[in-house]
Amino acid sequence: MASTVSRAGSASGALGWRTRDIVVAAIIGVVFGVVFQVWNVLWGATAGVFTFFPPAQNLFYGVWLVPAVLAPLVVRKPGAALFAELVAAGLSAVIGSQFGPDAILSGLVQGGAAELVFLVARYRAWAFPVLAIASVASAAAAWVHDWIVWYPTNALDVQLWIGLCMAVSALAITAGGSVLLARSLRDAGALKGFPAG
Amino acid sequence: MIVRRLEVEERALASPLGRTSPLLKLGIALLWLVALAFSYDIRPAAVVAAAAVVAGLLLGRLGIGRLVGGVAPLWAVALGIGLTNMLFAGANSDPASAVLGVIGPLRLTVPGALGGAGVAARVVAVAAVGVVFGQTTDSTRLVDALVQQAHAPERFAYGALAAYQAVPRLAGQLTTLRQARRIRGLRMGWHPRLMVGLLVLAIRHGDRLALAMDARGFGSGPRSRYREVRWSRLDAAMAAGSVVVAALAVLAGR
Repeated sequence: MASTVSRAGSASGALGWRTRDIVVAAIIGVVFGVVFQVWNVLWGATAGVFTFFPPAQNLFYGVWLVPAVLAPLVVRKPGAALFAELVAAGLSAVIGSQFGPDAILSGLVQGGAAELVFLVARYRAWAFPVLAIASVASAAAAWVHDWIVWYPTNALDVQLWIGLCMAVSALAITAGGSVLLARSLRDAGALKGFPAG
Repeated sequence: MIVRRLEVEERALASPLGRTSPLLKLGIALLWLVALAFSYDIRPAAVVAAAAVVAGLLLGRLGIGRLVGGVAPLWAVALGIGLTNMLFAGANSDPASAVLGVIGPLRLTVPGALGGAGVAARVVAVAAVGVVFGQTTDSTRLVDALVQQAHAPERFAYGALAAYQAVPRLAGQLTTLRQARRIRGLRMGWHPRLMVGLLVLAIRHGDRLALAMDARGFGSGPRSRYREVRWSRLDAAMAAGSVVVAALAVLAGR
């Protein structure tokens, strides 16, 4: 019967997840989970460079948010931002990074905030402005989380500087980087069969 | 390095902590994280860090080398985050705080320094909990527990697990890509373009994996279970112990 074929192959409707969507969104999360490991170590090792103005280090924050934008941009399914960011964060937690169990909490708020923006756009709009808003929303959620967990004693003005640096980073690295990566992936032919291809 | 840290020792998996439900361990880790958020005193962090190390050594049968090796990269981070909190504490601009020293435009005060040290200790505590969790938890068991005990959606949980299995492969491919750049006369560093190559290889692998999974009927009907995960008395004991530690940590900070 045709129905059994469609169940295993392409799922019902444009918003249903195929196995391919699940595995590819997850593997984007895994790739960035591996990148995070390098990034976590670099973040620690370069902290000294920024002692003149530690908030400036947050200009590189955007790397941690890329799966929450790149994965939904590629597969364009509801939940992709949250799923990919959680997979990436989960890898950090299983490997045992300096952020430990907090990585999962971070992934939840970062992915969740971006997800909300895509939800409001009803998973139909994928132009740069939407990606930019999702990136900044993700950074804003991360900012609040980090304030509570990691920088509880910071003065308000310093905290605002950190937020500004994170927002700039989200625009340049998360939104800009995701668009560039998706374009390169499409040109390489890796996205055939996906909406972004 | 990454691949080695993904491997969990058999000895640790067979230990009481290794047999505890990964879901419960995750819950405990998050509970302790919340317990730490109540104050920036150094004592709650010390309680949690000590509990994590003792649990890892005695209940998790982790070698000291593995524990220290896992925690090693975070000292710099703890120092960095601690310094930020110390130098930019709100208390530093309060004229009533006792001054420790003045560095250029910055005023370092006693409450600011204490707060910074407390947060640095918090980083160490969280990391210690994370290392013990990571070194006693196998990702397959974690996903089994997520599906059977937390009722996470099966297709997504096992799809993610399938993607996790690609980590050693991806680490190998990253090395190959870097060597390829070297052969072409480019520098051996960490160029962002490496990401494109790595993602292309990863997505192609994901495509083939998904095809193979579909061919075996993945997610097309009710799933039977090979490994049953059930709540046990060990889980209850671990939960009770962890609540005691969390209470101690909160009390220590008062």
